[in-house]
Amino acid sequence: MTLNIQKIREDFPIYKKLINGKPISYMDSACVSLKPIQVIDAINKYYNEFPACGGRSEHSFGKKVTGAVNNARKIIQNFLNAKKVNEIIFTKNSTEGINLITNSLNLQEGDVVLTSDKEHNSVLLPIQLLKEKGIKHKIFKFGDIDDFEEKLTKDVKLVSTAHISNLDGTINPIEEIISLSHENNSLVLIDAAQSAGHNKINVRKLNVDFLVFSGHKVFGPSGTGILYGKLDLLKELKPFIIGGNTVKDSTYKNYEIEDVPERFEAGLQDYAGIIGLGEAIKYLENIGINNIEMHEYQLNKLISQAFMELGIEILGDLDPEKRSAIISFNIKGMDFHEVAGILNESSNIMIRSGRHCVHSWFNANNIEGSARISLSVYNTEEECEVLIKEIKKIKNLI
Amino acid sequence: MICLIALVVFGILGIFSVAYRKIALEAFDCVFRRLTIRKCTSGLDKRLKSQITGRLMNKSPKIARFTYKNFELISWTFTIIMVVSLVYSGIGAYNFVMYGNCNGENSQEACVYNGLSDVFNNDDLKLNVGCESPLCQNEDCGCEGEINCQEKRGALCDKACEES
Repeated sequence: MTLNIQKIREDFPIYKKLINGKPISYMDSACVSLKPIQVIDAINKYYNEFPACGGRSEHSFGKKVTGAVNNARKIIQNFLNAKKVNEIIFTKNSTEGINLITNSLNLQEGDVVLTSDKEHNSVLLPIQLLKEKGIKHKIFKFGDIDDFEEKLTKDVKLVSTAHISNLDGTINPIEEIISLSHENNSLVLIDAAQSAGHNKINVRKLNVDFLVFSGHKVFGPSGTGILYGKLDLLKELKPFIIGGNTVKDSTYKNYEIEDVPERFEAGLQDYAGIIGLGEAIKYLENIGINNIEMHEYQLNKLISQAFMELGIEILGDLDPEKRSAIISFNIKGMDFHEVAGILNESSNIMIRSGRHCVHSWFNANNIEGSARISLSVYNTEEECEVLIKEIKKIKNLI
Repeated sequence: MICLIALVVFGILGIFSVAYRKIALEAFDCVFRRLTIRKCTSGLDKRLKSQITGRLMNKSPKIARFTYKNFELISWTFTIIMVVSLVYSGIGAYNFVMYGNCNGENSQEACVYNGLSDVFNNDDLKLNVGCESPLCQNEDCGCEGEINCQEKRGALCDKACEES
């Protein structure tokens, strides 16, 4: 199916905005995606029509909020193909989900957590904090299944890794990683922040134990995220943050914990955000994840080929088929911040530059950083051609 | 050395708006590091360089290329010009306060601050800024778009304009 990108772009009100009289070209979707009007309307509807508590109050507004939140949870269950609706926990982002798992698993002194060498700080740092409790950390080369197998020793209790690297878009072979980990009796936590919304995720087919993603990268509002976990595993986790709505009862000395998922959703939730996230997932599914993946691949291929012809250094695998919608690059002799700054000033092309929260990899490889293009379904071939033209001009500055 | 210019510009703007104070602090950090022979780590110099180059690139790629390649030299030139201007302005201000003329004692040469002394000493000018001001000329008031009618619009000005 050929996507009508112009029609899709009409759903994103931000495209009506001009900067210095010129349209914008947003290519930083790996950080935050743009929001369609359907999501904005859903958020506004909550504030305009039923701005109340969910899961607590039994008045008309309260019941409406509870219903809308349950509906959003159901949409996300279907999106991930989770077995049960209460395997879906609302968080404020992927980082919170990862911290929840690493802190709630009953890891003991001497246990090992295995991560890749290209993890976002959100995956890496919670493990580094665990070192204080005597938990060890081992690192395998991202995407290298042989190295993974070698590092997967009997003492590895948790494998925590990204599906797709936010640094360069490289795809990790998570099917094999999960399968090998389970053979070793290790649990697996997948950071799907860069794959949700770009690639089909089927948690039952993957047989993954835990998986997280952020709402703000899948057309949803900021401050929303999802933690998926197998129900029996979630039930065994220690509560991480507790408080309002996480207990059935409490005395001055004790409490009776709520069922899953409520026990992990402490305090008043971002109902508008959750409802908006549900709408965002509906929007994604209407377009079709496979269609999105195909469109992004075509754009990635166009840019990657042009960059290779121009002699621009691409980080990660050169084959766009082995990368998701991300092209991380450097122009020899030019600072990556300057590349991003010039693109922004000359033609409103918005890309990211820096170390993309993967400082550890850049430090280990003695690379200062990179400029990063990250695409989404609303990007067009014309935009990519303008980008290539501008990059040629920038290269000529040296 | 663009950070020194940025420090002066954003330092002044920062007095009026909190939005510029953070940039002024970044510029200060950058200047301090450069003075202590260290690399500027805030990235402000790169941001300013890319902003200027990006804008020039649309107008003239050749000028953009020249600016990009010689940015440090251009920055130094503007910094020196700025410092020299500040020094001369300071001397002028001192002379004006001490002798009433920015060129020094007993000087009859034109001074940019001289106009200020008229304003400070003329009560009429302090109060009447409309078309009834002694400085206001009829031809100014009668002509739409001229300074007195355009910029000093008010009850007095409008009335005078209509009359003229």
